[in-house]
Amino acid sequence: MIEFHLETRSGVPAYLQVVQQVRQAVRLGILRPGDQLPTVKEVVAQLTLNPNTVLRAYRQLDLEGIVEGRRGVGTFVSEGAAPAPPDDREDLRPSLQKWITRARSAGLDDDAIATMFDDTLRPPAIARVA
Amino acid sequence: MIWLGWRQQRTETLIAAALLALVAAILVPSGIEMAHAYSRDGLSHCLGFNKAGGNLACGNVIGSFEQRFSKYSSLVDWFTLLPGLIGVVLAAPYALELERGTNRLAWTQSITRRRWVTTKLGLAAGSALVAATALILLLVWWRQPFVRLDGRMDNGVFDSQGVVIIGYTLFALGLALAIGAVWRRAIPAVMVAFVGYFVARIFTDIWLRQRFAPTESLTWRPANGPDPARLRHAWVITEGPSDKFGHLLGAGKASVCAGPGCPFPGPPNWMHAVFVPASDFWSLQFTELGLFAAIALALIAFAGWWTLHRE
Amino acid sequence: MSDAAIRADGLGKQYGSNWALRDATLEVPAGSVTALVGPNGAGKTTLLKLAVGLTRPSEGTVNVLGLEPRKDEAELMPRLGFVAQEHPLHSGFSVKDTLTLGRRLNPSWNDEIARKRIEHLDIPLDRKLGKLSGGQQAQVALTLALAKQPDVLLLDEPVASLDPLARREFLNSVMEAVSEREMTVVLSSHIVTDLERVCDHLIVLSHARTLLAASIDHVLASHRLLTGPRGGDDVVARVHNVIRESHTERQTSLVVNANGHVYDSRWEVHELDLEEIVLAYLGYRALEAVT
Repeated sequence: MIEFHLETRSGVPAYLQVVQQVRQAVRLGILRPGDQLPTVKEVVAQLTLNPNTVLRAYRQLDLEGIVEGRRGVGTFVSEGAAPAPPDDREDLRPSLQKWITRARSAGLDDDAIATMFDDTLRPPAIARVA
Repeated sequence: MIWLGWRQQRTETLIAAALLALVAAILVPSGIEMAHAYSRDGLSHCLGFNKAGGNLACGNVIGSFEQRFSKYSSLVDWFTLLPGLIGVVLAAPYALELERGTNRLAWTQSITRRRWVTTKLGLAAGSALVAATALILLLVWWRQPFVRLDGRMDNGVFDSQGVVIIGYTLFALGLALAIGAVWRRAIPAVMVAFVGYFVARIFTDIWLRQRFAPTESLTWRPANGPDPARLRHAWVITEGPSDKFGHLLGAGKASVCAGPGCPFPGPPNWMHAVFVPASDFWSLQFTELGLFAAIALALIAFAGWWTLHRE
Repeated sequence: MSDAAIRADGLGKQYGSNWALRDATLEVPAGSVTALVGPNGAGKTTLLKLAVGLTRPSEGTVNVLGLEPRKDEAELMPRLGFVAQEHPLHSGFSVKDTLTLGRRLNPSWNDEIARKRIEHLDIPLDRKLGKLSGGQQAQVALTLALAKQPDVLLLDEPVASLDPLARREFLNSVMEAVSEREMTVVLSSHIVTDLERVCDHLIVLSHARTLLAASIDHVLASHRLLTGPRGGDDVVARVHNVIRESHTERQTSLVVNANGHVYDSRWEVHELDLEEIVLAYLGYRALEAVT
């Protein structure tokens, strides 16, 4: 059974953290297809979180096809949500290493690399219409 | 809500009951003793005899009875404070609630503020009525022998007979409720109300009562025989030697004196008295009850109104 | 717009010559958990007392579930739960007495809910309230409000005097209740950090004025921190909707209510977390009221 945790200062909204943690758990095989996710009430009790936030996270996961909700029963990991096949993952690491080597020889230190990585992963939002 | 009202009044109701029990503990034994003495000594046969004149044997019997029980009588005179004490004690729960703000807890449940106020005030007034009635029953029973001897119109006796105690208790209650509602500090409010009760009672006894009482006047010749029957057991407000038209000579009460130092040698020709006859006992009782009760109800209503409209 | 659980229109309350709340026009959406924040004396308690009918407006109106708190008292109060700041409980009452109070005074009282909560919290029924800890007293007060199954729950700084653990447990209880039953909650506090994970809506009060009333998502999406080279008053004046400005020798920082606006390229734009946004508003002088 998965246990969630919340980093209040991370800048990542709570519901997204829950989504990411479920995705990660499925990827790592901690959650397998057919496993039941904690109920909204359980997550609320665990994290002192607004129930709507949990519902939102579960809805998002449902839309992504990772979980499916069954009325009156609970939320379950979908059959189609398979962990990433090992070879795909393994392929990522060497290409990342190559990029880091290139960045270093271009003169970037570790901090600059981290900044560039962050900016690309989460581009600074130019104020968008809410 | 009734449950809540009783529950909150619990301590104060017990205090009032304890006070009454204490009163009973004092009155019941001595009352029984007096009643026995009254019948055993045959005092009932002596009624109607003037102490000073008339049958000497009766005079002795009456005198010894009075001497024996006068100490109780003076103690019981202090019991005139009891209606005030009981009234303010029963007002304390209401004032305490307002002081602590716990009324706001009740007001955010599902009953209306109006219902809360009327229930609490109603319970307090009801309890005061019950306590006053119990007190009256005890005092009237206790005083019976003395009342048969001396009547019940005199100041100091009148206020423990009949129904006025109900008015006094409600008045003290209303005063404490009104002060407590405005001031919101229960203990000082209760103390101030008690003092207010005391002042009001003295004012009534000394000044007010004789002004709304149905007084009568009488002028008579003492030489003609015993005192007029109408004066028997009456509340004599003024009495003294007078001229035959009833104008008082000198000041104050009659003094039949003989001897060189007397202002008037020998018994006076005429006596004049202003008094309230014993037959007016009940009408005077109800007048005074009405006065105190009306003021009490106005004070209680004010306390309720102020509470509801303050915020 | 019958979607608002609470609606205030020009609402104000004056005590003597002092306005505790002025010109408050805002809505609390039904089903939301709203944080009501502001420094002490900002008007939070006054707003809640007006909503629950403990006091009357000096001007303007307030409606809860479409009803007037004083006039429609008998109809509204069974649906409205309130936990006051001082939780004025009868300290001489036992826990059991307090629950009896709730049962007797509330027709919609569910005794099972009440007893289950108390049992779950390990609070002995025969203990006198005065002998309970602060956290336990707060929980009893909350039980009183929840067991009547209200549609709206108003909590006035219920955790202000509690230690962090008791605070967390209290908020947890509230969240549990919300997950069990559709309820609108307004939670006032001067501590913002507690509220971000629990609330989805925000009202900021300061000096009797309403500075902000919006969903938290919207607040986070619309407010930004602009940093750039030091600029003078004329530069700042040209910037749209500045909430707070601060300057160092070389740099100017502006907290702005951007809301879709695109800023001059001299400014670097950053996101802010909720506490920083609220603090920016509270550093704001009330006289320069936000439109």
